[in-house]
Amino acid sequence: MSRQIDRRAFLRRGAAGAAALAAGSGLLAACSTDEPGPDRKPGPGSSSRSGGTLRAAFVGGGASETLDFFNGPSALDLVRARAWHGTLGNLDPSGPDGVRYGVLEGIDVSDDLSAYTLHVRPGVRFTDGSELTAADILHSLSVLAAGSKLPVYRLAAANFDLAHAKADGDLKVVLPTLRPIADGRMILCQGNFLVVKDGTVDFQKGMPSCGPFRLTEFTPGQGSAFERYDDHYGHVPRLDGLELRSIADSTARAGALTSGEIDFAHDLSPVTARTLDDNGAVELVPTRSPYLVGLSFQMNMGVKPFDDPRVREAFKLAVDREAMVKTVFYGSAQVGNDLPAIGFPDYAEGLPQRAHDPERARALLKQAGADGTEVTLTTGPETPGMVETATLFVEDLKKAGVRASLRELPAGQLYADFSAYAALPLAGAYQMPVPALSTYQMSTAGGSPSAFGWKESATDTLVARARAESDPAEAKKLGTRAQRTRWEEGNQVLPVFKPNLNAKAKGVRGIRDDLFEQFPGFSQASLA
Amino acid sequence: MSLTVFVGRRLAAGAVLLAVLSALIFAATAVLPGDAVSAVAGVDASEAQRAEVRAELGLDRPAAERYAIWVAGAVRGDLGRGFVGDRPVTEVLATRLPNSLLLAGLTLAVTAPLAVLLGLWTGMRGGAADRLVSTTAQVLAAVPEFVMAALLVAVLAVWLEILPRVSVIPLGGTPLDVPHALVLPVLTLSAVGLSVATRLLRVSVADAAASPYAEAARLNGVRGVRLAVRHVLPNAAGPAVQALTLTTGALVGSAVVAENVFDYPGIGRELQLAVAARDIPMVQGIATALAGVMLLVLLAGDVCARLLGAREGHGR
Repeated sequence: MSRQIDRRAFLRRGAAGAAALAAGSGLLAACSTDEPGPDRKPGPGSSSRSGGTLRAAFVGGGASETLDFFNGPSALDLVRARAWHGTLGNLDPSGPDGVRYGVLEGIDVSDDLSAYTLHVRPGVRFTDGSELTAADILHSLSVLAAGSKLPVYRLAAANFDLAHAKADGDLKVVLPTLRPIADGRMILCQGNFLVVKDGTVDFQKGMPSCGPFRLTEFTPGQGSAFERYDDHYGHVPRLDGLELRSIADSTARAGALTSGEIDFAHDLSPVTARTLDDNGAVELVPTRSPYLVGLSFQMNMGVKPFDDPRVREAFKLAVDREAMVKTVFYGSAQVGNDLPAIGFPDYAEGLPQRAHDPERARALLKQAGADGTEVTLTTGPETPGMVETATLFVEDLKKAGVRASLRELPAGQLYADFSAYAALPLAGAYQMPVPALSTYQMSTAGGSPSAFGWKESATDTLVARARAESDPAEAKKLGTRAQRTRWEEGNQVLPVFKPNLNAKAKGVRGIRDDLFEQFPGFSQASLA
Repeated sequence: MSLTVFVGRRLAAGAVLLAVLSALIFAATAVLPGDAVSAVAGVDASEAQRAEVRAELGLDRPAAERYAIWVAGAVRGDLGRGFVGDRPVTEVLATRLPNSLLLAGLTLAVTAPLAVLLGLWTGMRGGAADRLVSTTAQVLAAVPEFVMAALLVAVLAVWLEILPRVSVIPLGGTPLDVPHALVLPVLTLSAVGLSVATRLLRVSVADAAASPYAEAARLNGVRGVRLAVRHVLPNAAGPAVQALTLTTGALVGSAVVAENVFDYPGIGRELQLAVAARDIPMVQGIATALAGVMLLVLLAGDVCARLLGAREGHGR
């Protein structure tokens, strides 16, 4: 037994040595072909050193993780895939279509909004030398993404008729829509849709890929190592290598960063992030809008007293949003306006910010005959800050005359029994950053269980019309009208949007340049 | 009864017990509220998608049938695949269980000799040293693991900077590749086990030292180390051996706090993750394996106790 392990260890070392040699030769090649990329600006003072290996830590999925990101729900799964595979595109507010394309040159939309044509960027090569074609994109979308159980990938099948998608030559993919939509670019280019080679079923080290890095080592639950892919489309990364580590505990991630064992720590808890404030060697880099996670409370309209719109409004008025931002997130969060998807193009930013008005809340509750009513808020530590904001909300409700109490479930418990969750009268929840209208259609419209009794066919129709409107101004008007109804009568209190509190060593640059900073890519990063 | 027969009987009984335990574990996963569907399909999945995923995972079949399928696979060494990530359970066990055994083994290697030393010293000497060690042990036993971990990190990793803050193990390597990263987890886990074993040993050493047998040895001129090791320890070690066995066996699966704080890749956290995701095959496989380990460790403890007893008989 022990001999066997020794042998395996030996083989592994051998492999690592070979990988190191390969990395070395890659380095040589990189030096000789060092192309002056358009975005290479030397750092102030010292010229930022090309190369080095950046080490970053994330929450992974433990020893049961695999390389199949279509079935991997953790942050690390997506970050690893982003480093390894080419992307259709990322959201970019400054880009021409609001997106920055990856392996695509552009997306054309037919006049009747019934079909999207994806134009493949010519000359994109996989690591095995073959060229990326329409077939690869088609396979990734209509076989792999369509077969995935993860919500992010289901967005494609919810909007496009993937069964009837087809390649038109090598460089064109035509995707028919299920119903007319004008915001399809925003869905396809959210950064989640990555491309692997046609026919890929198993995801393994050594499989062809066309991302900025190629995978050299993968240990489930521990991490993965990459080296730069010198034939990457667009620009070649500055880093020689990348090491993505799995460190589950927030304090441990921060500790590894301050002691120099890693250069980047993802998604720290507010308290941990606070402890890094006066550390001169590291820097907090919270994600910016739209990559903010909404923390919310869902009121079940099928349960008294939430069937009364006055009670729902009172609960929204009772919450002290500023206090949550200050005390839970030490100021590094944003006040919410009871609507998800802040910062996305289809978010209704024209609506007035809801005030904190406990007096009015109390009066509304009295009108509705619900003052002194007993309510239990159920929540759990599913993301940092969730329990803390719920605790404050319960106190706010008490001030407005509600006999509120908090029930905190252990981690992982809140969503585990979903039918029980959807039947709760008042439940904690969080919203991942995704566009407003398409997400409404997927998870709230039509009386879906996660809508907590919200069933308004008029609003559903309005959202569908807004998405089917090719005139942006008109679409905005319709979308805002739909969201105003949710804002006025809806059953969601959404007081806070919190960033992912990431932190980096002082010398690390260029992580934000890669867009989709919620799940950072490192193709433009450099070490000082 | 010879030792071989004893071990053989105990192994047979252990196998039966393990089968019963596996059924109990399965029953426990079946009565846990909720299922893996939310973990796999996401919170926003529609009813239709949920039903589809439930069927795909086989969760629409009755629990007894699922257990029968699992047992049929398990006797052939196939523990199935996890719901989340679809990785074979045996692979997860093969990568994580050795790390946990190593941690528990090292902890035992630190605690056992120290407990013997301190137990003998305090039990036979008494006085101020006894009070000091006993009080310290009592305090240590009362300190929660995470506080102990934080204290050790603050002193050894942050202040003195002689040890790494987390156990960053080279990819594809084992914890043995970075021995210094093992120090903090082992120290944290040792504190509690050491204090419990020391206190147990101290009491039985004091008893044994006051026994007529030890008195007779003393009158015969046996003193010091010889008295302690040859005459007192064999009579006193029984309860402490049992206590150490129990804590070591339990450590394999329940060092979750230390695993989290130091990011040590053990099996305890995998079990915790699997329970949170309602990943039944993973929970079932890991929990049954841990039950097996515990039974083996208990057996080892009993064998030790028997050998001690045999020696004691021989000594008389």
